[in-house]
Amino acid sequence: MTSQFGRIAVFRDDLGPREVFLTFDTSGVAIGFNGHVDLGTGIETALAQIVAEELDLPVQRVRMVLGDTERTPNQGATIASETIQVAAVPLRHSAAQIRRELALRGARRLNASPQGVTLEAGEVRFKDARVSYESLIAGEDIALRLDLLTPVKRPEDYCVVGKSTPRVDLPAKVTGTHPYVHDIFVENMVHGHMVRPPYAGRDSGEFIGKSLLSFDETAVRDMPGFVAVVRQGDFLGVVAERADQAERIAAALPARWLTPPPLPDMASLADTIRAQPSKPRSCDATGDFAAGIAECDKRLSRSYVWPYHMHASIGPSCAIADWNDGEPVVWSGTQNPHMLRHDLAQLMALAEARIDIRRYQAAGCYGRNCADDVCGDALFLSRAVGRPVRVQLTREQEHLWEPKGAAQIMDVEGGLKDGALNAYGLDSWYPSNRGPNLALLLTGTISPEPRPSDMGDRTIIPPYRIPHKKITVHDVAPIVRAAWMRGVSALPNTFAHESFVDEMAFEAGEDPVAFRLAHIDDPRTAQLMRESAEKGGWEPRTAPRKRREGRMAYGQGFAFATYVHGTFPGTAAAAAAWVCDVAVDMETGEVSLTRVFVGQDQGLVINPDGVRHQIHGNVNQTAGRVLKENLSFDEVTVTPKSWATYPLQTFPETPEIETMLVERSGDPALGVGESAAVPAAAAIANAIFDATGVRMREAPFTPEKMRAALGIHDGAPEAALAGPVARPGWRQRLSAKRLGAKGVGLAALLGGSLTAGALALPIHRAIPPAAAPGAASFSPELIAKGRDVFAAGNCADCHTAEGGAANAGGLAVETSFGRIYTSNITPDPETGLGNWSYAAFERAMRQGISRDGTNLYPAFPYTSFAKMTGDDMFALYAYLQTLEPVTKATPSAEMAVPFNLRPLNAAWNAIFHDARPLEPQPEQSAEWNRGRYLVEAAGHCSVCHSPRNALGAEKTGEKALTGALVKGWYAPAIAGPEATGFGWNDESFYEYLRNGSAHGLAAAAGPMADVVANLKALPDADIRSMAVYLASLSQGSSVTASDIAATDPGSPSPRPVSVPTILPDAVHRLFESACASCHEPAISNLATAAQIPLSRTPALRSGDLEAIRTVVRDGIEAPLSLDTRDMPAFGRELTVRQIDDLAAYVQARYRPKRAAGLEETSPAQPSGIR
Amino acid sequence: MNRSIEVTVNGAHHALTIDERRTLLDVLRSDLRVTGPKYGCGLAQCGACTVLVGGAPARSCVMRAAKANGAEIVTLEGLSDPVSGTLHPVQQGFVDAAGAQCGYCLSGMVMTAVALLENESDPSEARVRDALKHNLCRCGTHKEIIASVMRASELMRRERPAKAGDGEPFSDGGADARRSEGPRA
Repeated sequence: MTSQFGRIAVFRDDLGPREVFLTFDTSGVAIGFNGHVDLGTGIETALAQIVAEELDLPVQRVRMVLGDTERTPNQGATIASETIQVAAVPLRHSAAQIRRELALRGARRLNASPQGVTLEAGEVRFKDARVSYESLIAGEDIALRLDLLTPVKRPEDYCVVGKSTPRVDLPAKVTGTHPYVHDIFVENMVHGHMVRPPYAGRDSGEFIGKSLLSFDETAVRDMPGFVAVVRQGDFLGVVAERADQAERIAAALPARWLTPPPLPDMASLADTIRAQPSKPRSCDATGDFAAGIAECDKRLSRSYVWPYHMHASIGPSCAIADWNDGEPVVWSGTQNPHMLRHDLAQLMALAEARIDIRRYQAAGCYGRNCADDVCGDALFLSRAVGRPVRVQLTREQEHLWEPKGAAQIMDVEGGLKDGALNAYGLDSWYPSNRGPNLALLLTGTISPEPRPSDMGDRTIIPPYRIPHKKITVHDVAPIVRAAWMRGVSALPNTFAHESFVDEMAFEAGEDPVAFRLAHIDDPRTAQLMRESAEKGGWEPRTAPRKRREGRMAYGQGFAFATYVHGTFPGTAAAAAAWVCDVAVDMETGEVSLTRVFVGQDQGLVINPDGVRHQIHGNVNQTAGRVLKENLSFDEVTVTPKSWATYPLQTFPETPEIETMLVERSGDPALGVGESAAVPAAAAIANAIFDATGVRMREAPFTPEKMRAALGIHDGAPEAALAGPVARPGWRQRLSAKRLGAKGVGLAALLGGSLTAGALALPIHRAIPPAAAPGAASFSPELIAKGRDVFAAGNCADCHTAEGGAANAGGLAVETSFGRIYTSNITPDPETGLGNWSYAAFERAMRQGISRDGTNLYPAFPYTSFAKMTGDDMFALYAYLQTLEPVTKATPSAEMAVPFNLRPLNAAWNAIFHDARPLEPQPEQSAEWNRGRYLVEAAGHCSVCHSPRNALGAEKTGEKALTGALVKGWYAPAIAGPEATGFGWNDESFYEYLRNGSAHGLAAAAGPMADVVANLKALPDADIRSMAVYLASLSQGSSVTASDIAATDPGSPSPRPVSVPTILPDAVHRLFESACASCHEPAISNLATAAQIPLSRTPALRSGDLEAIRTVVRDGIEAPLSLDTRDMPAFGRELTVRQIDDLAAYVQARYRPKRAAGLEETSPAQPSGIR
Repeated sequence: MNRSIEVTVNGAHHALTIDERRTLLDVLRSDLRVTGPKYGCGLAQCGACTVLVGGAPARSCVMRAAKANGAEIVTLEGLSDPVSGTLHPVQQGFVDAAGAQCGYCLSGMVMTAVALLENESDPSEARVRDALKHNLCRCGTHKEIIASVMRASELMRRERPAKAGDGEPFSDGGADARRSEGPRA
């Protein structure tokens, strides 16, 4: 037992300040320090194993500190799979040094020779005696200078390294206690939200950092939680007490930006990249390429295209920074703590040593994402406000701004002579700049001139014996922000090498694996290739086999690569070979990767399970990149803002994966972080060739590209036919979402309001102002009754402006004829109804004539209110007197000629308006009559649900309540056969009107949701009456479905419609990525899923795509009083064109097909789509 | 507008006054510091924010906290036994089969698997793949995650003998199956 604290440590100080690699103290725990970080790969576990092995300590007693700049040595960025291969070397020697010291001390204590003792489980042992490590250092502080010549264990003596060891971080991760950087809370912290420039994803050119013209802080200063707006150059950020407040303030902050210059034509990616300024570098000029190619008897020229990809971290980047009076602390998920510290020092003009970067795990990054950018953002904001600032990027910001995995173009020319590779020329174009820190660029701290990087040369030399080579990398200046991503340029370069060699093998009439082996001199490489082919089930062939079973074609492909990292000529990491199987749907062009076998040679294996997990991760991630991923652009910027338009591989698409780790415990451990990704594209392309005879040379191999390559004629899905629909101004409407929704509630096809439009010529008698009686003059019963009428009429909804005083009017209503504003119905004498006698009120309600004698526009639903009983009318009048008076004048209507002439409305009234109260029908029940009254009169349901004629009058008779599209929302038929087809009855109508949703039938959304929310105030009996009446409307109608179809062009065709084949394309992927999680949920009972299947949604019945587009654009904000659910608005995420296409797709896939009658049939099934 | 709500999160009762526009995810993470559920996309596309609301899985990034008023909420932190610390079988399954690399999506995977296995105790591997199709993982840990759920289902069956009518796969995505058992506002 030890009583006194003691410690032993290994350090170096020859490269600058003292850096500690490993400590062991009397607590019995060893702590290793490594400048590299765990990017979620489990490297922490492998490093702990290395320490445990060399120190003969159980792995549970080893902790690792990774990446903190204060505590860990500067070992460069965690890139290029170098951690095990390079960064772990001093750690291993440190452990060996401490072990040697402990062995000496133990031997002395046990009176044995140093050679005679054994070390095991934290003890030094000699015969039966044992002494713990702790007791050997008690009371001492021992510091050993790192000695890289210290002997380390022989591999055959390993008992921890080489064995699978469970991940040390998993228990905390599965219980939610592992602290990601996103989860750190710092006392007194506030929240920053960045307002990024309009040149999303770009970082080169004169305009960078110089585009912000102005912003208006005064517009947001009074918003809740406001702390500050911070600006320098194009760096613009908002700080608030809470994150949601910061986001709202940022969205509201008016800012004027210069329009960025357009991008070059990104649709012609290859030509565009080749045309950028670039610098050629020769990497291999063996032999004489010109002569070599000239003497070839078979020559081919090929171009391969690799698109831009996203790193696509699942968690958008986050950081917290505390300026701390010039001694900043930054909590960061960076991949490169020491490089980041350098950048931050430059940004803040501070000495590096004063910045403490505390590295926490973040979401996996696979290269350079926004993890460093967000640290610059947070620190800059923190200095400005003098408090710790947390910045969490949104999904959209991460998508748009992360430095992308660079696109790459590979032009190959090569040939065979006498059946052997004789010449190989490769020009590889790689536009990247390593992604400088965004804050440095936006603040103008560094110059934004385009600077190419030198990372296009990874694995640029093929592994084959070729006498004449001319291999050139073109370091291209960046077009959009681009940096390293898993496999870097080695993956695209290998796509070219291994596709071309495969093609050459067939040209030579040889089996592709045998052909490759014939060109390999290195026995270790040959062994890996041979064993991989054997164990991977390679089936030799000398031509594509094109195996078919029905519509599916099956093929197998092979590819090999050694991943070479670091500055050219670089260092070899693990080598990997793929044997993979694909199935190609010859009708849809879909490629399924069904099985991948990976053979890998990584020298010594530290943690076999860890290595296999890395292989699996590489396979899955890269399969998605090769088959699906492709970054899209518009004229100016990168476009994907969510997974909707950048889909990742899903679970059903995951291949079976088998691995073979070559046993080489005597060789140094090689990096495995990226190697298995590198052969992916070529292996899959080669398998597709075997299946179909078609060579794919442009990734990703999407169904569209496959169909084009295979000559499959597109079935012209309806979505593809949807033309762009110009709808200027929809963005503005979005910003006033609720306003728009309420406008619909008014059903205002003609505009108007109770008092608006002062210019109107009075043609009716004015009723003199007369003070309304006070609320006290009415009985409580009467007022209570009036409150019900008020609720049934949904009055408050239209007469309250967004954010305005209740019932004081002013809600803007856009109509086809102009804009009107609803009126103030509070009892304010000047601006409300305070000077309206009951006679004036009743005349307005029944005849649409304002107190002053002007006609009201029929947007005010007096045509319905006319049917109200006198009792209800008076009760409503009484109730209105109890409202809080608000002085607020109603703005004038802005109507187009001739609709601004209210006398026109008088003529309209004469033709269309029946101002008589509703007469009860004695043959019907009292309940039915009450329901009819509520629906037809006070509830004014017809205003939205009845179609209108050209003059804006509601259609009556059998057309009444048969559905109408009102400002983008479809108010479905609630009477007649169209309504009958869906099984509504008393109960379902009751359920719907009471709670907002009827099981399986409908959920109130948009304006109707507000209506139902207001109906909450009505007694149950009234709701039930309405349900009884409504149910009666949809039964026994003499009108047939075909009648409706024949007379109403908006109705679907009654003829049988063939189910359209939906071929998988970008719109299909968009639906599957953005919509399906809620509309086709994969697990039952999802509380955030749509309540109603899409095939039943009213929007699809309208026959007008605008009904679908409106919901997609604006989403649904469900009233809190209802059981209905929210739907996110996609107007920000998607372009107008994408929303158009999506609406057409949804219509084609889900619209009920009515062959005869109105039965629903099953929705169209996407063809062969999993 | 601010609104007072009451929720029970992992057994602890909370009375809160919150801006009614805020998401459940935001309130859980920021106000209650329950950080198991993660922000991934804010659009119900990735699943990292999945929690149980009234026993039903919910993507808490698209559910407003005010909509969860009165509900019983369980997050990743609330799965293990509060006294003994014994892991929930799904958590144990993910440890046994190493179902995480970076682990940022893990909370959503675990919670989705809990919801799946509560309804279907013996899913096929194909069913597990399908059930997770709207949960995104970028590390490519799909194989281990599938194995973790299969392992969890084995552990759960061992722990709880099968109930009658159990194991029915979620059939057609119809409205019946989707009916909310979730919170009542």
